[in-house]
Amino acid sequence: MEKYEKLEKVGEGTYGKVYKAKDTANGQLVALKKTRLEMDEEGIPPTALREISLLQMLSHSIYVVRLLNVEHADKNGKPVLYLVFEYLDTDLKKFIDYHRKGPNPGPLSPQVIQSFLYQLCKGVAHCHSHGVLHRDLKPQNLLVDKEKGILKIADLGLGRAFTIPLKSYTHEIVTLWYRAPEVLLGTSHYSTGVDMWSVGCIFAEMVRRQAIFPGDSELQQLLHIFRLLGTPTEEQWPGVSSLRDWHEYPKWKPQNLARAVPSLDLDGVDLLSKMLQYNPANRISAKAAMDHPYFDSLDKSQF
Amino acid sequence: MAANFWASSHCKQLLDPDDVDVLQPLDRERGLTQEEFKLIKIHMTNHIWKLAQQVKVRQRVIATAVTYFRRVYTRKSMTEYDPRLVAPTCLYLASKAEESTVQARLLVFYIKKMCSDEKYRFEIKDILEMEMKLLEALDYYLIVFHPYRALLQLLQDAGMTDLTHFAWGLVNDTYKMDLILIYPPYMIALACIYIASVLKDKETTAWFEELRVDMNVVKNISIEILDFYDYYKGDTCKGEPVKGIPEERINAALNKLATK
Repeated sequence: MEKYEKLEKVGEGTYGKVYKAKDTANGQLVALKKTRLEMDEEGIPPTALREISLLQMLSHSIYVVRLLNVEHADKNGKPVLYLVFEYLDTDLKKFIDYHRKGPNPGPLSPQVIQSFLYQLCKGVAHCHSHGVLHRDLKPQNLLVDKEKGILKIADLGLGRAFTIPLKSYTHEIVTLWYRAPEVLLGTSHYSTGVDMWSVGCIFAEMVRRQAIFPGDSELQQLLHIFRLLGTPTEEQWPGVSSLRDWHEYPKWKPQNLARAVPSLDLDGVDLLSKMLQYNPANRISAKAAMDHPYFDSLDKSQF
Repeated sequence: MAANFWASSHCKQLLDPDDVDVLQPLDRERGLTQEEFKLIKIHMTNHIWKLAQQVKVRQRVIATAVTYFRRVYTRKSMTEYDPRLVAPTCLYLASKAEESTVQARLLVFYIKKMCSDEKYRFEIKDILEMEMKLLEALDYYLIVFHPYRALLQLLQDAGMTDLTHFAWGLVNDTYKMDLILIYPPYMIALACIYIASVLKDKETTAWFEELRVDMNVVKNISIEILDFYDYYKGDTCKGEPVKGIPEERINAALNKLATK
């Protein structure tokens, strides 16, 4: 590991610390993701293996963070695996926070929101077309290059390749705020729609500079959603009341979505409403989202 | 693992036939012959298969493990990478990559139960150490596609689902060769369907024509498979595992490597 000089710790990933470091050979900045290996038990954690193999497959898209190298090292006799990623200076959470409570608070410009959302859809479409669900999309997992205005998907530790049709996956995955209602309600089959719900929540958050559904428990999370979008009915979402964790809820009427994102234009509100469809089958796909009129004013040739 | 073969690392990793089944210089120095190299790979494929049946994993985990095993030896010598350790470690790694992890201690336990020969027996730490070396040898490309799903879809499409059992067995046997490193999985599936249909007197010319695939490739794969059966026929019948390699020949070959 003499090849890299650690500069500072920048965060905790799903299964280890992340450092900012410099490649001593060429001065290039990299992110080192350290994975502890409990070698006396079960070797390399399957989550790390999964991330490595998925990244090997996906990282030729510029909208997915690039895995540059994998380094195997010994630390005090204990084996450690370092995933070496390209370095980006910030993530979308910090970027939004900066616009909310930085020295010059103010909204993200509509152009930035539009461009970031497009890149996010492009990255998600790339994952989905390779048969990979991310399952944990949230602003912290979206890396941002402020200078170049580039957004990339990171942290695929929970991502998993899917084969259609899907069987049940473990439930404890998505951070509550971005978790799709079908996951919250305990569905046994879920698919690309779970990521698109998260994309919708992230879209709204860029506009509002705060989370649209900030629940602190699974029930609270559902109630946040229901209060804004109305309590779902069998008519709009066939089968919802037979999902495992469905209970009788207060019957809220849907509110006007535009009021939750007052600075967003009509096309934007329309796209958001298509991402926040209750019935996962009706939710817009990443690929279709990229063709939505909301992006008509965007110069797509740059992507 | 993933749904799209064409976009996968497996697709990009397909090898030229000339780069597969090539004896490494170090192994050649030890006096290993091309034939023995092939035999060891067949034998170890069977070893993985038997071990997998003990620990009860899905078919695709076995197929992935064998693919790793064969890919390793396009790059590494058997002298440095003892096949008797690489084989179970490939199964271990494949079980993780395919999300049905088998504990290392279970593998160690069943190997001891299966093999009386000391040279096949390893400890957990040996497997874990080899796991890391294999990852590097495989360049961390772990996603592998197999012919099974394509086989079922194609047989359905051809209206020949009655051939499923037979063709499935043929696909299993293709892992005793290096075909999975060279050809797209659906082409291997087509070759197996082709053989099955010829042997069972099914008329498939029109169906194959409609597929618009390169029939020369399908036929070449088929010939390789049939040659393989011819050569290693021993007392096997088609679609059944090859059992015809005498233990002494394998041991003589492995002894040349003199690992452990």
